[in-house]
Amino acid sequence: MQVLGFAGPGARTLCDRVAPHLDGRVAVVKRTDGVDGSQAGDGSLEGVAAAYRVGGDGDGAWSARGSDRGLGDVLDDLAATYDHALVVGFPAAAVPTVALGDADPEQVALSAETAADVDTEAILDAVADAAPHVTLDTLVEQVKASPRAHRAGAIATFTGRVRAKDGEEDPRTLELTFEKYEGVAEDRFRTIESDLMEREGVEEVVMFHRTGTLGAGEDIVFVVVLAGHREEAFETVSDGIDRLKDEVPIFKRETTVEEDFWVHDRE
Amino acid sequence: MGTVTWRLFADLAEVAEGREHTVSVDPDGTVGDAIDALLAESTGLRERIFDGDTIADDVNLMRNGSPADPTESVADGDELAMFPPVTGGR
Repeated sequence: MQVLGFAGPGARTLCDRVAPHLDGRVAVVKRTDGVDGSQAGDGSLEGVAAAYRVGGDGDGAWSARGSDRGLGDVLDDLAATYDHALVVGFPAAAVPTVALGDADPEQVALSAETAADVDTEAILDAVADAAPHVTLDTLVEQVKASPRAHRAGAIATFTGRVRAKDGEEDPRTLELTFEKYEGVAEDRFRTIESDLMEREGVEEVVMFHRTGTLGAGEDIVFVVVLAGHREEAFETVSDGIDRLKDEVPIFKRETTVEEDFWVHDRE
Repeated sequence: MGTVTWRLFADLAEVAEGREHTVSVDPDGTVGDAIDALLAESTGLRERIFDGDTIADDVNLMRNGSPADPTESVADGDELAMFPPVTGGR
């Protein structure tokens, strides 16, 4: 899923103008003004974390609101089933954002004085250039949609995450920063995936590695295998992550409470 | 005379004070010549990447996305890369 933010005066108007030009399924996430997430006329949400209204005639129409999800949670939820998410009014988010007027977002995709000054094509390019928002669910849904899914009775997955401590005495890790050799890394991923998919009983293999800075507890890397039976699914997941770590040019810098260093220097 | 672009990663980019360096090499030049040209403008890198007279075992070389050797020829516009062991972990 590609994510782009809009911030500043006219952000909503601009978002609404861009949405119809995007291919695939588009989700829009807008900041509500109410402190508790509720809007006028919606009544109280006391004691309720999430309230859904679903169309009773099976047309799929729904609306929802709640009190316990941040933007990150919502984007994670959307990532598996939407192609694009447009986000309005979250300048502090780690999302490339179109800045209008005096807006000063954390990540500026492009900036302009007013919405009328922004070329729609430039926004579509910014959407395409953004790093994709990928979760484990994104990859699981992707393999389930395989034309060979009817042959598969198993999905095995591996998730690598940022470990805070590797023992009681180990200084706590605050974050890891990953640097990737763009282009070559993607080639290596595709090679490993296609090698593993040649195995008997293995139908799909997909991998994804996040880059940039990730905090303790955040997911780093996913390997997902769709296979006929569990034995080849487990074995292929294990070989997939081993080959990824040996062959894909991605470099890891670790920041602990005491210091920061390149991990390859310590191994 | 042609030019090739070096891509450096992780601590190599820090030592060389830059992730990309474009250097000039002779038309019949090699990856080794491009390394010499890089070292001429990046003081400190020699100590990091050489073990005696040869490139250290933990330094990887690539030419246009494929593993490369210092004796290999380069062509104008090539992308060369130099990086430490890829991130391991148990």
